[in-house]
Amino acid sequence: MLENFLGGLAVVMQPLNLLLLTSAVFIGFIGGALPGISGVILVVILLPVTYGMEPTTAFMVLTAIYGATVFSGLITAILYRAPGTPEAVMTAFDGYPMTQQGQAGKALGIGILSSVIGGLVGTITLIIFTPMLAKLALRFSSPEYFALAVLGLTVVASLGGRLIYGLIGATLGLFIASIGIDPLTGTSRYTFNNLNLMEGVGLIPMIVGLFAVSEVMKRSLDHDTHQPLKKVKVKIFDLPILRQIGTTLTRSSIIGVIIGILPGIGASTAAMVSYSETVRWSKHPEKFGKGAPEGIAAPESANNAAAMGALVPLFALGIPGSGTTAVILGAFIMHGLQPGPMFMMTHSSLIYAVFAGLFIVNFMILLFSKPFITLFTKLLNVPYSALGPIIIMCCIVGTYSVCNSMFDVWLMLGFGVMGYLLEKLKFPLVSIILGLVLGPIAESELRRALSMSQGDISIFFTRPISATLLAIAALLLAVTVITPLIKRARMKAATP
Amino acid sequence: MLTKLLLTQHALKMTAFGVALFSAAGVAHADDAANYPTQPIQFLVAAGAGGGVDNFARVVRPMFEEALGGARITVINLPSASGALAHQRTATGAPDGHTLDFASTTYVTSLAAGQNPVGLDQITPVARMQSDVMALFVNPERYPDFESFLEYAQANPGKVTVGGTHTASPDHVAFLSLRDASGLDMSFIPYDSTGNATANVLGNNIDATTTSLSPLLSYIEAGQMMPVLVFSDERLEDFPDVPTTVEHGWDLTDGNDRAIFVHADTPAPLVQRLEEVLKGIFDSEDYQSYAERVNLTYREGWMSSGEYRQRLENNYQLYSRLLSNE
Repeated sequence: MLENFLGGLAVVMQPLNLLLLTSAVFIGFIGGALPGISGVILVVILLPVTYGMEPTTAFMVLTAIYGATVFSGLITAILYRAPGTPEAVMTAFDGYPMTQQGQAGKALGIGILSSVIGGLVGTITLIIFTPMLAKLALRFSSPEYFALAVLGLTVVASLGGRLIYGLIGATLGLFIASIGIDPLTGTSRYTFNNLNLMEGVGLIPMIVGLFAVSEVMKRSLDHDTHQPLKKVKVKIFDLPILRQIGTTLTRSSIIGVIIGILPGIGASTAAMVSYSETVRWSKHPEKFGKGAPEGIAAPESANNAAAMGALVPLFALGIPGSGTTAVILGAFIMHGLQPGPMFMMTHSSLIYAVFAGLFIVNFMILLFSKPFITLFTKLLNVPYSALGPIIIMCCIVGTYSVCNSMFDVWLMLGFGVMGYLLEKLKFPLVSIILGLVLGPIAESELRRALSMSQGDISIFFTRPISATLLAIAALLLAVTVITPLIKRARMKAATP
Repeated sequence: MLTKLLLTQHALKMTAFGVALFSAAGVAHADDAANYPTQPIQFLVAAGAGGGVDNFARVVRPMFEEALGGARITVINLPSASGALAHQRTATGAPDGHTLDFASTTYVTSLAAGQNPVGLDQITPVARMQSDVMALFVNPERYPDFESFLEYAQANPGKVTVGGTHTASPDHVAFLSLRDASGLDMSFIPYDSTGNATANVLGNNIDATTTSLSPLLSYIEAGQMMPVLVFSDERLEDFPDVPTTVEHGWDLTDGNDRAIFVHADTPAPLVQRLEEVLKGIFDSEDYQSYAERVNLTYREGWMSSGEYRQRLENNYQLYSRLLSNE
């Protein structure tokens, strides 16, 4: 395997490949930084360009773009609360408050370092364990996915703020997720015979609206033209911070890689679950959402780790683990290659070159992200009265381009108004996103699991992985609910 | 910034198209066939970017441009509502052949399920160019052949679970037609993608999947999945040991088709012209080498406008009956 990897590195180090890889990273940076333009669209646009290339070079380029977009979504999430990709939505929760406190450079530095560490953990796992892990991932079926989603949803109880708001938010997210054609029976739910609603409410219009548009609205209505980005000095290696986020990075990278490997759920879910777990295990959960460095480290290490993890089932089994990897699978087929169980053996030189390319891409991110961000902020160093409209323009074009749908644009603007009002009410947007992303997984996997067992509920408790996950969820929920009660009882006992 | 520029250009072009379409709407004559195309052409793809239908449209595009002597074509993906928006835009646009709708069997299955309002009286097929053979796949560790699957399903009514893509998908109607023809008591579990259904068969979580052949070839080669029944009238050359539905006495052949549609009022000579252009592309070496590369040569892909229309009408009847019994 080491020989294969070194062979791959030799291919990557050819000047032309290195040049193409660098351009791919820059294209990925730009695409990822623009809200609405995600890795999927970039890979599709550039796919025809790769027809003329050697398959090895083509896939090095496509996977590099993919890796770079997952990283660069954080830039606009942190600077303008406009997540460039759905994977970066959790990063905005703590990244943007840091920017407002004048710590944009610090926040970006944490984001870059966490991304690179997560990406490297993911890539190394990919290189060493691909065949082995792919087999394990197949043991994950509907009952296990359901249990995982339940575990994620229980975190609502631990999020800061008022519990009742958290519950309302999560329910609202679950409700919005239920719009569209029921995936299991084909019945229309809340579509009012509108064709545009049949596919449900897209994640991108929702995220872009709730976060980016609502923030521009808020600042315009408040006449807040304060521009905290005059001097963004990105500091990547900061020892005290690294000490503070070390545990979070380790835990989140591991969570990210595991979730990434599971076929069917991608890097956005990984970012969400690791953020939730970080809040849950933190000694100061109240600091999250207000600019906690761990709140950036968790989602950024997890989403990059998961992006690489999602390639494990693709290369080992031909099963894509996320939206972008599904497009990459399509690209393989267009090049006349069919990833599947034998692919690792029949095309090992191609695969190891791609692995080596991804390995290098992580270092390129480390190297090039700082100058890119400097350039990016210089370009956008204009008064907010000009920047706000630019952000809205990007949001509109980006959202439109996902499905070529004007309806999605209106939806996004509607969510902008909704986000603005909800924030005025001090409503935690994080719980809505939690419900929206995890709700559909919980719902359809519950029903699929029951179909598998002909309606027998015991399927959740007789399968070891699902039983363990559900037990952990129950335990954690009990602890978070009971602890305050005990505290209160003690307080009462102490004050007679 | 490059991407943004491209997108802005794209948006500008789209506006120009819109204007062009409006001005041309009133002047669709029968003699248009000779002058075609008079303006840029739109390929609407009734599916997301990167999938089988999308790849098909993007492969045909340069060939189509060349065949028409340098026509300008844009590809637009309209994946929402199982592609119903693409059909709607085709049906409500000008009947002048400048808007072509690239769609799969999902068009007729979603129509039968009532999820797609654009009927066969509103759009008309120009040609079918691909038909991926449907088959029943199992994990060979679990069932060595179709006989053992059949025996198990007969002995354990209600226990067999078959996976596939979403409700009213080609996978789902293939399952329904098999259940209908064989009378076996089995249930269907819809997944978000072929990949998820495949993973569950590989992981021994469900019994089988009904889906098209070409995406699963690599698993067959690796011996991890096996087609045990093909929905075809003759055995396939590459799988001489796999029985067909027809030899079991079931009047049932099925495939996932990929075809091109236009507005129903498009003048007949123009439809004929488009069909000729597509036939020329289909017979070209370039197209055939693509079809071979993506393993779509198991069954003759070509079907003319009239033949395919007949097939769609028959399938619509069949699928409506199957889905209404659900």
